[in-house]
Amino acid sequence: MTSASLSRTVTPAPKFPDLRLSVSDLGLSRGDMVLARDLGLALGPGEALLLTGRNGTGKTSLLRALAGFIEPDTGAIRLNDEPAALAAADTIAWLGHADGLKPGETPRSALRFWADLYGQPRTAIMPALRALEIDHLIDRPAARLSRGQQRRCGLARIVLAHRPLWLLDEPAGPLDAEGRACLAALVASHRARGGLVIAATHQPLDWPDARSLDMGAI
Amino acid sequence: MGVLTAIFAREARLAWAGGGGAAGPAAFFLAAITLAPLAIGPAADLLAAAGPGILAFAALLSVLQSAERLFGDDFSDGTLDLYLLTPTSLAALCLAKVMGQASATLWPLPLIGVLGGLMYGLPPISALVLGAALLAAIPALALIAGFAGALAAGIKRGGLLIALIATPMMVPVLIFAAGAGRSAFAGDERAVANLLLTLAISLGTVALAPFGIAAAVRGRLG
Repeated sequence: MTSASLSRTVTPAPKFPDLRLSVSDLGLSRGDMVLARDLGLALGPGEALLLTGRNGTGKTSLLRALAGFIEPDTGAIRLNDEPAALAAADTIAWLGHADGLKPGETPRSALRFWADLYGQPRTAIMPALRALEIDHLIDRPAARLSRGQQRRCGLARIVLAHRPLWLLDEPAGPLDAEGRACLAALVASHRARGGLVIAATHQPLDWPDARSLDMGAI
Repeated sequence: MGVLTAIFAREARLAWAGGGGAAGPAAFFLAAITLAPLAIGPAADLLAAAGPGILAFAALLSVLQSAERLFGDDFSDGTLDLYLLTPTSLAALCLAKVMGQASATLWPLPLIGVLGGLMYGLPPISALVLGAALLAAIPALALIAGFAGALAAGIKRGGLLIALIATPMMVPVLIFAAGAGRSAFAGDERAVANLLLTLAISLGTVALAPFGIAAAVRGRLG
């Protein structure tokens, strides 16, 4: 990544209000397979957690439970002592396996839509695309973007959402080395503002001071 | 732009850009109402009597054409996950979504209904009443198709499930919309009553179906 683009990603932005995520006694299963039992987690402002482990160990399921998409079998997930399900809608930015892009949509039209949905100004779109170094692709239909470029567009949506807790499922999967550097810079910038990041990943991610949780070992 | 307006506009734009807009349902509707007389025969009285029913039935099937994609695409590309993480009510989002797509894809059906009515030998006023009944029926048909589409989102061969779920729920709309055209043709005063009942079902569906669609979406994502 160039120094110019790095300087764009770390442009000072207002800090997030303090947010604490706490998970206690969490039990999670899929069918008859137990994925987690009595799991406890605590994450504070500026912290990052990497969920690692082999396929099928429950990384995505845990992320989906944290986002409130699925109900855990037992335990509680709280954001600042409030049930996460109640606070999720304006606290969590989600990046799943898919990027929420339609084949005929350009990054410009997609991000305009998401800016409206998140209540963010459309003027924030270009800086987000620049931070991911895809501002020159703003009018190219998603069907003509590579998988890595689509991922960068998904990450631009995460930046645009302006929410303190990022839940990222394999964020670096399709990214090249430059893309991974962009991602690392964005995560560092987000954490510097007091944001939290939890990412499920198969790839080693060089995020300073990020904690790691091996889902296969719990 | 407001959240619901943004969703409505996006659905309408995507339906035009990616799905051919109104061409699919309109082509299906036209094909069905053009082929039916070839099977029924040339008797003018019979065609005029059967016309309202055939037209309403063909319109119902046309609405089902795009039901599988309505929530299936959003399910597979992750959009539904993102909708769950917005402060706006999911039921309202689903209503805006279905109505946005319906406005882009189903608008020709009442017009074709009027032309089809004339083609089947209905008097102009009866054809217009039938067209109005189809217009009144569209919100109910679209939302019922949306409910079935949400239940089947992400399921392989979901089209079969959609047909099985949606068609029985569409029966009252079919009866009253066709009844409006039939009563107008017969010259009896129940035409207006049938038309109003069609509209009442649509309004009731607009009020209730979004909650069912939202519950179906949550169920599919859970």
